[in-house]
Amino acid sequence: MGRFESLHPLVIFLYYVIVLFVTMFTNHPIVLLCALTGGIAFSGTLSTGRQLLSDIGVYLLLFILLSLANPLFTHNGETVLFFMNDNPITKEALIYGEFIAVMLIAVIFWSKCLSQIMTTDKVIFLFGRVVPKLSLILTMALRFIPLFKRQTIVINNSQKTMGLYAADNIPDQIRGVVRVFDSLIGWSIENSLETAEAMKARGYGLPDRSAFSIFSIRRSDLMMFGFMALFLLLFFAGKGAGLLIFQYYPTLGQINYSGEAVGLYALTALFMFFPSIIEIMEKLKWKYLESKI
Amino acid sequence: MIGFAVLFIVIAISRVEILSVDEYYLTHIDDIKKDSEVITVSIRCDTILNNMDKLAPELRDEKYVPRDGIILEESQYVLRSGDTVFDILNRAVRYNKIHMEYQGERDNAYGSAYIRGINHLYEYSCGPLSGWMYKVNGEFPGKGISKYKLKDEDKVEFVYTCDLGRDVGGSFYSERN
Repeated sequence: MGRFESLHPLVIFLYYVIVLFVTMFTNHPIVLLCALTGGIAFSGTLSTGRQLLSDIGVYLLLFILLSLANPLFTHNGETVLFFMNDNPITKEALIYGEFIAVMLIAVIFWSKCLSQIMTTDKVIFLFGRVVPKLSLILTMALRFIPLFKRQTIVINNSQKTMGLYAADNIPDQIRGVVRVFDSLIGWSIENSLETAEAMKARGYGLPDRSAFSIFSIRRSDLMMFGFMALFLLLFFAGKGAGLLIFQYYPTLGQINYSGEAVGLYALTALFMFFPSIIEIMEKLKWKYLESKI
Repeated sequence: MIGFAVLFIVIAISRVEILSVDEYYLTHIDDIKKDSEVITVSIRCDTILNNMDKLAPELRDEKYVPRDGIILEESQYVLRSGDTVFDILNRAVRYNKIHMEYQGERDNAYGSAYIRGINHLYEYSCGPLSGWMYKVNGEFPGKGISKYKLKDEDKVEFVYTCDLGRDVGGSFYSERN
């Protein structure tokens, strides 16, 4: 099937819309946990292990902060842990806060993956016809962040080779940073002028231009499309039948473990883990082929 | 910068008062003597019984909405000097171990406490026009709960409304319109 990245941009975009939609509009603990673990797993297959660990560390802190914030503001719930300023701090509010935190962090992880997979050419391909100006401006503006980072390093290095650096003198260090920043600003203005000239030279804004794209809908895209449609259908059928109702206040409800509900959880887990499964299978295939050389 | 953060945390902690569950409910109420001034307090939610279809599904239980709609029967509490309606209510629910959540008088713009929920029945729990109201001697004072000072033999009723007070005899909103 190839890597998840190599699917048609429309399919990838729809997949993300469905994942984010499902995550944000359910508060069922199992669905949220599926979304979070799926997002972490996919993020793990896209980056190195060390990067993933540091991400998890940061978001663990965020998780603790978010889950402690809810019981401070919501006092509903039957199991009182203690009273703060005469208002109850309850177990139910704490658990609700935890799952809200799970939801937020799951969305953050999925968005991280999205920004890695949806490269600018795909964004332009998807939205170039609908909102041409906006998609161009967005991709150019987002491109500036890594571009500036790279250029700062280049300028810094060239300043160093010219001998313009200070190691222990703070005013000199500040002066050096200001110099780098100064030339970065000058460079960015010049760069934007050059970009404008280059775009003009290539005929930006002329009528009757055609756009080239390398994306075409293949069999795997159709299969993925069918899978997503099936998932959406079953998910909303299950939600409509009340399989995903979970009550937090005033007492915690029971998780539904009937056959249909478990089937729905399994389907959700499969859907959320789908990209990471594809990536891992592809990696295994690569390793296998490599070992045969 | 760090100084400010530490100062902020110290102020935040100094305003926090933590009580265990037993300590909180260990409320002392004065015994009623012959010469003591008394207040009658009751808490009722019988309007919900007519609006069960609007009630949030997780609250459809006798634990939250008693069959007769009475959460706290009419009972007498000693009036301490300077007591407001809120003080009496707070003492009564603590003594009877009834859940209550309120917004403190320092936390809103009205300078009065606001009762969010009693016995897990919250504002908006039974439709968009629902919430807690109070009567003193059968009349709605139209004042914040910590602004109303009580006097001897006043009768305080807390009632749950599902229709902005119209279903419990309040006329404030209908007069205004």
